[in-house]
Amino acid sequence: MPDVLENALTEMGFALLDYRGNGEFLPIAKLPAWFSELWAGAVNSSHPIPLSQISPFVENFLLDAEGFWKSPGGAVCQSETWIEKAPSGREIPLQARALLLNEKRILALFSPDSQFREQVKVLQTARDASLDHERLAREIQKKEILLHCIVHDLSQPLSVMHVAMDSLSEESISERSRQFLTLGKHAGNQQETMIRQILQTFSADLQATLEAGAEGNSSPDLLECARKAMTLLGPTFETKGVRLAASSNVDLESKWPVVAEESRLLRIYSNLLENALRYTPAGRRVTIGVEDEGEFLKAFVDDQGPGLPSDLRPEQIFGLFMKGKQSGGKAGLGLYFCRITVERWGGSIGCVALPERGSRFWFRLPRASGHLGTIPPRAEATSSAVGTKRNLPAARPLRILFADDHEDIRTLTTHQLKRRGHHVVIANDGKQALKAFRSAAFDVVLLDQEMPGMTGDEVARAIRIAEQGKRTHTFLVASTGNTTSEDVRCLKSAGFDHVLGKPFRLEDLNLVLSSSPAAQRVSKESPAPATRLTTDFAELTARVGGDEKLLKRMIRMFLKDTPKRLAGIAAAIRRNDPESLASLAHALKGAVSIFGAEAARKRSQDLQELGRNSEFSAASQALASLKEEIAKLQANLRGYANQTPARPKSNPSMRQRPPRKRGKRRR
Amino acid sequence: MLQKKICMLGSFAVGKTSLVRRFVESIYSDVYQTTVGVKIDKKNVKLGDKEVSLVLWDIYGEDDYQKMRWTYLRGASGYLLVADGTRKATLEKAFTLEQKVREVVGAIPFVFVINKSDLIRDWELDSAIESQMAVQGWNILRSSAKTGEGVEESFSLLAQKMLG
Repeated sequence: MPDVLENALTEMGFALLDYRGNGEFLPIAKLPAWFSELWAGAVNSSHPIPLSQISPFVENFLLDAEGFWKSPGGAVCQSETWIEKAPSGREIPLQARALLLNEKRILALFSPDSQFREQVKVLQTARDASLDHERLAREIQKKEILLHCIVHDLSQPLSVMHVAMDSLSEESISERSRQFLTLGKHAGNQQETMIRQILQTFSADLQATLEAGAEGNSSPDLLECARKAMTLLGPTFETKGVRLAASSNVDLESKWPVVAEESRLLRIYSNLLENALRYTPAGRRVTIGVEDEGEFLKAFVDDQGPGLPSDLRPEQIFGLFMKGKQSGGKAGLGLYFCRITVERWGGSIGCVALPERGSRFWFRLPRASGHLGTIPPRAEATSSAVGTKRNLPAARPLRILFADDHEDIRTLTTHQLKRRGHHVVIANDGKQALKAFRSAAFDVVLLDQEMPGMTGDEVARAIRIAEQGKRTHTFLVASTGNTTSEDVRCLKSAGFDHVLGKPFRLEDLNLVLSSSPAAQRVSKESPAPATRLTTDFAELTARVGGDEKLLKRMIRMFLKDTPKRLAGIAAAIRRNDPESLASLAHALKGAVSIFGAEAARKRSQDLQELGRNSEFSAASQALASLKEEIAKLQANLRGYANQTPARPKSNPSMRQRPPRKRGKRRR
Repeated sequence: MLQKKICMLGSFAVGKTSLVRRFVESIYSDVYQTTVGVKIDKKNVKLGDKEVSLVLWDIYGEDDYQKMRWTYLRGASGYLLVADGTRKATLEKAFTLEQKVREVVGAIPFVFVINKSDLIRDWELDSAIESQMAVQGWNILRSSAKTGEGVEESFSLLAQKMLG
């Protein structure tokens, strides 16, 4: 029977070698061709083959084989594949197996050529795919950073340019200046188009890569990811002699689901842990932990290093290419990546120096929905189509809270909002915005998405929480450069009603404001009188006895005095001075009546009444409405003052010049 | 002639096979060909007045598909621990391997080689990490199987350490 087995194995291509001790073997059957190709010189029928000397792999395997021959009852003794190179240069894969046949210690060698090639092919494909995946992950990080730079750093100044040029175009400027302004606007539009094209390309590309590499977990567990990061980086910490520990205060039984994507969340942890390791001396500890903050879940990494760099403010540490002078870091992308990624998920990130030594780097993310639900927006929001021309709607005075950390945008936008009669409260960052929201009522809250300390998303969520059970719903508008469909979805889930894409134009902003429930309500409750003079220029001239020059002088005086009167009214409201308020409103009512501006007259009268009744809060709103009407009147009057009398074609009777007083010569 | 066994250890695709080929045959190929199993090469080197035959065990990089057999380290006089400078994860893998070797065969000489120095602009590792490792007493060299930079030096340094 053993002979049969020997024959069968030989037929199958095995080289069967009888072990004679000292690493030497004698063939017990005909050797296959590959054996001769490899070791022809060593094969001599009268001498054993010193295979251990020839093949270091066989020498190594022999130790296992001898163990098997001594105690053959155990597991099969078989090697993995190794490669031997023939004198011709051909590489021959081999496998070895220890056998006991007829009480002989047999080493069976086999060349699994075709099977090996198949195995190589499969592994090559798998490892190529693995390398591609790693490359892809790196590319995604780079692209995200670049995308963010384009969105934020290029769009931000463009927003300022748009609003500044829109503001300029509303001023009284020369025709030549207007031409220059048109050129500037045109160039701005071109730049915006180019930015958008780049953005669209990137967004599509990024989305495709993300979808291709998606791991399916859209609400990973914050604690579980922390554990994975610890496992991943544990050896690195050990090598440096730094202890990596989980905080003892963590509730291990709870679920910690967050709005995030697992692989990038892991990368955030890795970046923070590597940062901590870089600054923590050997023998000290880095602690990782999570905390429940209700609607948000917070993760932190505490180190026992030298603390935060003295040359950087905490918020600067997360800036692009930011490195402290004592930094051992690289290009300054790691923490920047953490910031933009966390902010894209609607969270925030920061760092503080710890009281005794070291620093804490933390980030907080929204708890994944289904655990503490978010309030759906009442009104269906639409993302802004920046650059599309629209009809400018008539503005209604609204109470607006406007938060943006960019001073130029704040200044210009506020100027324009106030000019349209809105009441504007400004906040420089998210925390200020939330504080302002809690201290007064607003019709619209316009929030920049990316602000230091507290992002627009966080403010929106906090506002929605504050509104719970109050039957109120403030119209929240996000102002952001992140306007992909995914971004808009995230912003809406944070509680925003509308997303205003940056760079935005005034007409976009006005359209959004006019779509707010408060504006719609005002429109229904008190339909505004038509913004027009009840008389035309001919009638006005007739009112002043046909003296055009006098009319123009009156207009100039009105234009000159009205701002002072309005300022006086505003001051009276601030001082809570009812008499001055009523008196100034009365004077203004008379002035606007001369020009037949019925809406402005009515607003002045309302204001006068409010002054008499000492209703200063309502007076502020009424003043805003009055300013709106006055602004329209001023615009009309400027037009009249700068032109010869208009002659409406629709009413031929008005074409007739009003009769002049006899005896007076026109000058 | 004195014979010394050297094992090449490191994650997959860090360039272990390329380093051996560059060292033994002065050949380099840009095409990544994964190693399945073990390849053994030999090269004689002269260290001072001693000639040594280095037996180089090019062992597949461990991953989800192939697990390392620690018996391959039997009789090894030293090893070259290889990482890919462009892939941070391979550094972490190298640290794990170093620990495991210490557990299995004890503290034998090794040289830590960070390969692909020709792609230095794409490196994910920074000099701070190298400095940290140097502080731990590790011998660290940058290499490029493509340009040959640091290849001879790495093997020579290891051979010197092995000969004590």
